[in-house]
Amino acid sequence: MSDHSPAAAGAVLSADDIARLLPHRHPFFLLDRVTALEPGTSAEAIKNITSSDAVLAGHFPGRMIYPGVLLVECVAQLAAVVYGTAGALRATGEIVGDVADRVGYLAEIRQAKFLKPVVPGDQVVFRLQSGARVGGLISVTGQASVGSDPVLTVRLAVTERDA
Amino acid sequence: MSLEEATTHATRRHQLALEVKTLLVDRLALDVDPASIGDDQPLFGRGLELDSIDTLELAMAVEDTFGVTLTDDNTHSLLSLNRLLDHIQAEQS
Repeated sequence: MSDHSPAAAGAVLSADDIARLLPHRHPFFLLDRVTALEPGTSAEAIKNITSSDAVLAGHFPGRMIYPGVLLVECVAQLAAVVYGTAGALRATGEIVGDVADRVGYLAEIRQAKFLKPVVPGDQVVFRLQSGARVGGLISVTGQASVGSDPVLTVRLAVTERDA
Repeated sequence: MSLEEATTHATRRHQLALEVKTLLVDRLALDVDPASIGDDQPLFGRGLELDSIDTLELAMAVEDTFGVTLTDDNTHSLLSLNRLLDHIQAEQS
């Protein structure tokens, strides 16, 4: 396991760590913290929803709801963290490395269910489990919840690029 | 193989073919009648027109339903329905 020191208590990976693993940047850098991680297999992460997020100014004026498609993107970014840390571990022996240029792509979204609106003030907890792999494609299952309420379930197919 | 054994084998194969065709249609949301899919029909390209992303869903469906794993080493089993049936029967025997 890496000897890096995430800034926040309870963090396995800080936002700065995530930024080393992913190519995404503002306004499309979405995860705040990874709180549990098994590289290549599973992870848990949090995102705090804030009214200052520019996307909420237009979605919707007078009734801010965090877009469901961005919740799905959060799961996709968490998948990139899961496989990115596995790649970094293989390459360097550390879970955090400069592997952003090797992040794969979102290939398919299946069975997405948006169970409850996500609004400013919510802390969304994302959980991801890796599944079957065939021909460079990986199936992942993602869930998101706010407190005890599930807000999203989804299955994605993502591509993995060689580390 | 006796005539009775051959008949039993053929019946089992026919039943498995129908199960796999139904699975294909259900899991991949194909707009075709399972019975209209030929046993020699290619699954990709000009066959059922599946694409590479369908490979993953099909592999998961086969594993969920028949307990048979498809990996990068045997994706050739997905080229046609007959090849897939051969793979399932070989793994189950």
